[in-house]
Amino acid sequence: MAIERLIDIYEELALRGHLGAGTPALCVVAAEFIGVSGAGVAILSADGHMSGLCTSNDIATTLMELEETVGEGPCTDACTSDGVIAEPDLQSPRDHGWLTYAPLAVASGAHAVFGMPVRIGAVRLGALSLYGQRAGPLTDSQSGDAYLMASVVGRTVLALQAGAPVDSIGDELVRQSTMDYSVHQAAGMVSVQGAMTVGEALARIRAHAFATSATASTLGRRIVFREVVFDAFSREWRDTGSSTR
Amino acid sequence: MARESLLISTLVELADNLVDNFDVIDVLTVLSDRCVDAIDVDATGVLLASPGGDLQFIASSSESIRTLELLQIQSDEGPCVDCYRSGIAIVNHALADSVVLWPRFTPMALAHGFRSVHCLPMRLRGRTIGTLNLFRTEQGQLSEDDVIVAQGLADVATIAIIQHQSALDARTINDQLSNALNSRVIIEQAKGKVSQATGCGIDAAFDRLRTHARNHRARLTDVAEAVVTGALDATAIDPGVASSLG
Repeated sequence: MAIERLIDIYEELALRGHLGAGTPALCVVAAEFIGVSGAGVAILSADGHMSGLCTSNDIATTLMELEETVGEGPCTDACTSDGVIAEPDLQSPRDHGWLTYAPLAVASGAHAVFGMPVRIGAVRLGALSLYGQRAGPLTDSQSGDAYLMASVVGRTVLALQAGAPVDSIGDELVRQSTMDYSVHQAAGMVSVQGAMTVGEALARIRAHAFATSATASTLGRRIVFREVVFDAFSREWRDTGSSTR
Repeated sequence: MARESLLISTLVELADNLVDNFDVIDVLTVLSDRCVDAIDVDATGVLLASPGGDLQFIASSSESIRTLELLQIQSDEGPCVDCYRSGIAIVNHALADSVVLWPRFTPMALAHGFRSVHCLPMRLRGRTIGTLNLFRTEQGQLSEDDVIVAQGLADVATIAIIQHQSALDARTINDQLSNALNSRVIIEQAKGKVSQATGCGIDAAFDRLRTHARNHRARLTDVAEAVVTGALDATAIDPGVASSLG
């Protein structure tokens, strides 16, 4: 079951210590978990600019820098197409239009690359890229693990934006395999309350849940029941006092 | 309406919905609603497995079923979880006798007023991708015909989720599962925005999004995404009663 695989991922992450921006633990775990030569995570800024967050090794770093420089590659395409990108053989690539990227990626030691969009609903957070030193597609089980890892990356990026420690997401995932839909409804509501994007609202909910030692789904439900609102003027959370606790 | 007529009108409606550019969440919601009439159950829910293998909620005929489905996912037990893992239908299971089998699910389902539950696997080439779940407030048994009809509707749900079945590999299936589940999240985000912007309830916000999509011949998920990104003003969504048919 996926939940056991998730616990494995978080145990690995915990063993490697806390994550901060730029720490490679997330990408090292991703590469080991999926069973590829290396991995990288790129994040999208509010204005749609893509930048590398972390990479698992030197080749992954070279590939990420290459993508940032030439504006082509699996992360770039995964972000713009919102779909999974696969190039199992960079020496005879399909029609990705990677005229500059493909030969330089091969020269740096990658023969297969893959890109997974990292998203939460309509909120696009970035992409997870994977590379293989040898050409070849992902196996079915690697493909399933890559989707799972992309959702872990999504929650981790959100936690980093919210300033919450990564082990707090591990707890949440273990207790409930899926993010409760009330969190997504609440993010929509808070984005209107505070005149902000839904992505920012998600990060604020995550941060407030952490600050008040609540789970994101408990806070989400209280927001949906209008027991908690985000005040547009003070930019702070307000308890409406209608809580039934 | 007679049972056969209900079934035929359901299949015609689903076939209408399945032509070209349809929305998977919209079709699954129609399917959930129609199951309630066609099989004479009181509530229906659909769970879908993510490419990583965990079950997630995708559609239901009512909010109370969503709570029960989430409970099964969170506690990792219940008839839908068993049906998904075994790939075998679980029918005519009286909840009164299920406390030992599902200690967390059973009391919650009974508290919601349900007395029996039936789960049909959604199967595709030997892989179970989800379950169609039927809940009844009466103990009564589903007939053999009911089970055949229910499995037929579960197969329709599978077709709705996994399109272009001619060129199927694991990657295509995973992509479509992932997109269907992400669509559900987009719609929840949009429901929150519409609810807050117009002061209507969350359920009413869903009706408004669906009505708007129909009125403008757009896909539900596209309308929802436009609302979430701000391309479409949340206050500009049509009211929840369809202005015209089709």
